[in-house]
Amino acid sequence: MAFVEIDGLIKRYGTLSIFEGFDLNMGSTDRLVLIGPSGCGKSTLLRCMMGLEDIAGGTIRLGDDDYIDGAPNGKMKLNRQVQKEVGMVFQHYTLFPHLSVLGNLCLAPVRSRGIKKSEARDKALGLLERFGLADRANFYPSQLSGGQKQRVAIARALMLDPKLMLFDEVTSALDPELVVEVENTMMELAEAGMPMMIVTHDMHFARNIATQVVFQERGKVIEAAPPKDLFGNPQQDRTRDFLRNVLHIEG
Amino acid sequence: MELDFSFLLEYSGVLWRGLLTTLQFVGLAVVLGLIWGFILSMGRTSKNLFIYWISTLYVEFFRGTPVLVQLFWIFFCLPLFLGVDMSGFTSAVIALSLYSGAITSESFRAALKSIEASQFDACTALGLPNGVRTIFVILPQAVLRAVPNLLSNVVSLFKESALVSAVGMADLMYVGQNIANNVARPIEILSAVAIIYFCIGFPLTRAVSMVEGRLLKVVKA
Amino acid sequence: MNYEFNWFYVKKALPQLMDGLMVTLQLTLWANIIGLVLGFIVAIGMLSKIRMIVWPLTAYIEFFRCTPALIQLVWFFFCVPILFNVWWSAEFMGMLALGLNLAAFNAEAYRAAIQAIPHAHTDASTALGLNVLQRIIYVILPQALILALPVLITNGIGIFQQSALVALISVQDLMYEGRYIATQTFRPIETLTTVALIYFAVSFPVSQAVTLVERRTKRLLAS
Repeated sequence: MAFVEIDGLIKRYGTLSIFEGFDLNMGSTDRLVLIGPSGCGKSTLLRCMMGLEDIAGGTIRLGDDDYIDGAPNGKMKLNRQVQKEVGMVFQHYTLFPHLSVLGNLCLAPVRSRGIKKSEARDKALGLLERFGLADRANFYPSQLSGGQKQRVAIARALMLDPKLMLFDEVTSALDPELVVEVENTMMELAEAGMPMMIVTHDMHFARNIATQVVFQERGKVIEAAPPKDLFGNPQQDRTRDFLRNVLHIEG
Repeated sequence: MELDFSFLLEYSGVLWRGLLTTLQFVGLAVVLGLIWGFILSMGRTSKNLFIYWISTLYVEFFRGTPVLVQLFWIFFCLPLFLGVDMSGFTSAVIALSLYSGAITSESFRAALKSIEASQFDACTALGLPNGVRTIFVILPQAVLRAVPNLLSNVVSLFKESALVSAVGMADLMYVGQNIANNVARPIEILSAVAIIYFCIGFPLTRAVSMVEGRLLKVVKA
Repeated sequence: MNYEFNWFYVKKALPQLMDGLMVTLQLTLWANIIGLVLGFIVAIGMLSKIRMIVWPLTAYIEFFRCTPALIQLVWFFFCVPILFNVWWSAEFMGMLALGLNLAAFNAEAYRAAIQAIPHAHTDASTALGLNVLQRIIYVILPQALILALPVLITNGIGIFQQSALVALISVQDLMYEGRYIATQTFRPIETLTTVALIYFAVSFPVSQAVTLVERRTKRLLAS
């Protein structure tokens, strides 16, 4: 059985339809990279996975548990226990600006998981050490570079020991020279065996980190394959067109 | 014409007391207005339609009418209306505080509204319960963002407080006008009063823009 | 609470209140004309690099922004006739004081708007061979007006409310008439409530319009 099972997902914004029966599976050792033209629902998919969006139909399973059971008119059922096992990092950092780096990391464990302050603090310092941010523990978000902010955001999500990490265009808002430090952090996580779902525009990075690349367009999966195959020998015309365009732009 | 400011020294004591009265009015109106304004802003973000409309009407009404009218209304009408005796001081404080509450609630509301939706997303992603989200994430940011506006409200109240002279409160404005009438030297006295107001109003205004610059840097992460 | 309302006298005095409202509106209109024009001139002056221009203008703006409008009004009423040996009507004094007060606030609004105009527009104007005056009139003014419009209207409606102060220097505006009728008829609650409602009826629609204008200008300038 697959680790993540998305079955018949329906998502609409008013009259605008994003997904009408979307299916996707992911294994427990997979790192899925979602690519596709903008507006094809990549970010929406991650937001649905996080439980941030109300879905009108379909189900999502995570591990052995029912996670989300979609229903129209805001009657979606969401398993809060399972939601806690998912971590997410956003494009615009979304660090809490009034809290220090340590404060950002410790807020959720201490206030909602009942972990002791000293314990959370030790864990936070360990994570910061691992990401080369130990000297920034008492800084405020406004004092950090974009790359540092994003790595703190990753550390903040890891504080809760998620079983699945979602990355929504986490390098899109960064200056080019800061992209690498964030991507390296993600590579390190990948090597440690963390299952991930990633939305990115960086095809080079996608090729390096993915075990499976999913090309989607207009709310449908067009092609899914290991990066070597999808980039090297795409089977579908639309995939080829898309890759030709983006790779051409990237040079 | 000849200007003579030297006689002002004679009146420094009276002017000083007038200034203290002004500051007393401002202080009371600021503190009471903060409490009242917070309650009102809760009302204005309430899901209960009745509470929402009552508080919205209140705020719009107090922002949409001259403070002088409000002051006269409270001074002349409220005691009649309630059938109780009320000192001029009490009515003036009530009038200023009611106004202060209205503008304060707007500052709080604007601050709450300015917090990006992504902050709420982040809270969900971290599994924070609603209570924790409100107390530890939203409220501190709202207060930080409201500070510049709240400070500039203090400046407004400081200036509006001169109106209490119109209902016979012996504030700086009143004292100044009285002396001007008595000694028939309006230029010196009224200029001096204006300068005293300026000496407090100007640093306050500057402080607002300084604080604004600093806080924006922190909050806009 | 056992007060008995009696609206008879207010109804009878309504024409008088309307006369007062006309005075209030005229004062507001003239103060706004002064405020809009003088405010822009002051804002342009503040762009100057000459200290002898910037310093007095700064002093003017800060002084009017940091002192109560009431002291400004009273000062004009009592001091201008003595200082300059002129005898103008109270209405005219009130208009001047309110206009100068508004101009100071508007100058700040214009200044912020001018700063928000992309610097490239200055370069573009130079490239198009516009001289300084042409640049101010054709490039800066229209954009500054659009950008500053919400604040300018808010300030304008603010001066409508502040204009009630002229009642204290015996200008027969809405506030003055209201107070007069209230004491004549011993019916302060009915009269002052009516006055408050009239003020509100004028300023509320305008302040609502500001919200609309704000949304529009944001869209217009997003291009």
